[in-house]
Amino acid sequence: MSVASNQLVEQETPLISGDQTFASVTEKISSIAEAKTPKMWYVAIGISASIMFFFLFLIGYLVWEGIGIWGLNIPVGWGWAIVNFVFWVGIGHAGTLISAILFLFRQKWRTSINRFAEAMTLFAVICALIFPGIHVGRIWMAYYMFPLPNQMSMWPNFRSPLLWDVFAVGTYFTVSLLFWYTGLIPDLASMRDRAKTKIRRYVLGFFSLGWRGGNRQWQHYELAYLLLAGLSTPLVLSVHSVVSTDFATSVIPGWHTTIFPPYFVAGAIFSGFAMVNTLAIIARKIYGLEDFITIKHLEKMNIIMLVTGSMVGYAYSCEFFIAWYSGNEYETFTFLNRAFGPYAWAYWTMVSCNVIVPQLFWFKKVRTSVPIMFVMALLVNVGMWFERFVIVVSSLSRDFLPANWDYYSPTWVDVGMFIGSFGLFFTLFLIFLRFVPMIAMAEVKAVLPQADPHFYHGNGHLDTAANTVAVKEGGKA
Amino acid sequence: MQDYRLTDKNIIGKPALIVGVAGLALSMIGYFMDPKQFFYSYLVAYVFWTTLALGGLFFTLLHHLTGAEWSTVLRRISESVMVSFPILAVLFIPVALGMHDLYHWTHTDVVVNDKILSAKAPYLNVTFFIIRTAAYFAIWSLLSWRLHKLSLEQDSNPSPELRKKFRKISAPGMLLFAVTITFAGFDWLMSLDPHWYSTIFGVYVFGGSLLAIYSFLIIFGLMLRKRNILQDTITVEHYHDLGKFLFAFTIFWGYIGFSQYFLIWYANIPEETIWYLYRWEGSWSIITMIIVLGHFLVPFILLMPRANKRNLKFLNFMAVWIFVMHWIDIYWLVIPNLHQQGFQLSWMDLTLTLGIGGLFMYWFWRKLSANALVAINDPSLEISINFTNN
Repeated sequence: MSVASNQLVEQETPLISGDQTFASVTEKISSIAEAKTPKMWYVAIGISASIMFFFLFLIGYLVWEGIGIWGLNIPVGWGWAIVNFVFWVGIGHAGTLISAILFLFRQKWRTSINRFAEAMTLFAVICALIFPGIHVGRIWMAYYMFPLPNQMSMWPNFRSPLLWDVFAVGTYFTVSLLFWYTGLIPDLASMRDRAKTKIRRYVLGFFSLGWRGGNRQWQHYELAYLLLAGLSTPLVLSVHSVVSTDFATSVIPGWHTTIFPPYFVAGAIFSGFAMVNTLAIIARKIYGLEDFITIKHLEKMNIIMLVTGSMVGYAYSCEFFIAWYSGNEYETFTFLNRAFGPYAWAYWTMVSCNVIVPQLFWFKKVRTSVPIMFVMALLVNVGMWFERFVIVVSSLSRDFLPANWDYYSPTWVDVGMFIGSFGLFFTLFLIFLRFVPMIAMAEVKAVLPQADPHFYHGNGHLDTAANTVAVKEGGKA
Repeated sequence: MQDYRLTDKNIIGKPALIVGVAGLALSMIGYFMDPKQFFYSYLVAYVFWTTLALGGLFFTLLHHLTGAEWSTVLRRISESVMVSFPILAVLFIPVALGMHDLYHWTHTDVVVNDKILSAKAPYLNVTFFIIRTAAYFAIWSLLSWRLHKLSLEQDSNPSPELRKKFRKISAPGMLLFAVTITFAGFDWLMSLDPHWYSTIFGVYVFGGSLLAIYSFLIIFGLMLRKRNILQDTITVEHYHDLGKFLFAFTIFWGYIGFSQYFLIWYANIPEETIWYLYRWEGSWSIITMIIVLGHFLVPFILLMPRANKRNLKFLNFMAVWIFVMHWIDIYWLVIPNLHQQGFQLSWMDLTLTLGIGGLFMYWFWRKLSANALVAINDPSLEISINFTNN
């Protein structure tokens, strides 16, 4: 019975291809961060850093002049800045989902992508936090966002979703950073042990917190990892739910709808996976990581995009139906206005990119073709930015009183800041790629067949030399 | 080789049938005494068992789509739950007959004088309502019948190709499931108060049906275990995982319920808050608090420790608890439309829940006991049996 049924189990292709050993994993991943800096890297960071400095310049200009240099008007008091904020926070969610929720669901394939997805989370949240920060107008008063005791007994409004944002996103950043760093410790220690120069050894030794890879250390480490995964899991839901309340607690038609929290979360994961996919496709090509981030990994991410894209489509339809069903003329108008009003171009961009495009992932050919999925992931990124644009701008520009209506268009500063935030994001990401192992080596080793304690007793077919190296290195088994 | 067939097939079948028929027969008396109460109680009982069946459908679809291995031993049970849709379709007839008592929007004289209801009339009218419900049942029955049939085919023909077939049905099946459960929720429950609307309502009903199936699987599995059936197949490891899902979906349900309440509370628009005001009127506030504490807070705290999820006695208690809470939740969705001053339990709430439940369980048992209790030729059965949480 057992033999028969085992034969029936689909032969799962291994998660990591290319007959990797513990040693080859360490060698491949660490060497990327250890080798001489490639020329292309300087070119890339030169470009992205220039864009980042342009962003900083624009922020300075904004602080000097005030937010009048943006395209905001009355009634559209929230424009691209808030759109960008929600866009970037959303991007971050995939990282947390991969590292926390997929971990709890025993999805081993996550080990190849979690490190840089988490890094992406951190950098995206940094980009996100800048926008509401500079939106306050008098930026020197930004500390009012925090409940700091003061002699005037002035407190922020605790019933304001904007304050909850500060807490939610702040917590999110802190926990994500801790999680990311905890995961990094064994890998930094591996790199420390390989370090050729003294400075390198000291710096990596400092950051690896004296990790020796002993049995007890691993036990503590794994427990800490599990706990952090458990703590991060509610954050996947809560952060974007809180962001959604920025809109949904109001009485603006198109903003006030009860499905907003889960709908925003699904959209966030959707956009995040599109970004992870985009970055993964580029990174695996440049650094030759096809054995680690295989087509299977990309395909699985595409399936998640198909699922979350469909959820987003479900939410759009639900909103549209209930807007009519409610019999509320303002709700009905808002949705008809979105689809056929002055912002119809944005609405249909959103629908095509977010609902129609991911449906192509039903086809295995599409899911497994790198160029096609790359284009699709980019389109999803575009669509998710437009989703926030449609929500923010279309509802505000035409509210209850037609006399108040106005059309919103961005200024060059708006556009520049949005592009600038990509400069910041890619600068941080390039620094990460250069100095930190971009794939979680210790975790990848744990999903190799050699990690099975019985591996060497039975059909171990590796050459002994590789095994000895692996044991010497104290690679995680 | 074990064939996983029951030796004694009469554990549930007959008693359930007796309870079912007796419950419905008793309730018939109630129909002549108080038809309005009868229909409302009927709707509560009916929706309660239908959400369980929907949960079973979802569990099966999810199992196939994710290629999950741990849940293989539970598949046959969830499959037998979901094939009850034809019976439930027949049991819908009393709801259709009671529409005039249940649904305010069926009163044409009211609709004509109500601007909003007349605007909704293209959707909320008797003919379309019946057509939609027929469509839901057609889709659910077809999906579950196909999946169940394939599953039985697998018992005699262990072809690996079947796995692909399961997925081929499940993927579009999941989309259809999402759409139909949403609109069924809108139609059967939300339109009880035809002026009120909430975009998240379908997700809320979905959340409840998840809790129904996960608690049912625990309760039923442990009942079999007590009789030494499948005790080495569905192990503590599986209960632990079921417990985790019960815990996770308790949070999910709480999250969805809270999102709905919170946004309505905050915006404070009368046409929306009225729904919660009804549920805060008089003694309804007690039921509301029971739901907040009992449906969310208590299981949230008690299901958190690992030891509790592996303590089968305790887990059984929590599953029964949540199963009952799910019933209270449906009661809380439906009955405030009938008794607006405060809640009044009727004996028909009990007899009808037992009546429909009896027929439901009878049918479930017939389907389950006719075949092997687990999918014996599922390629991942062995992995599932030996699965451990480490």
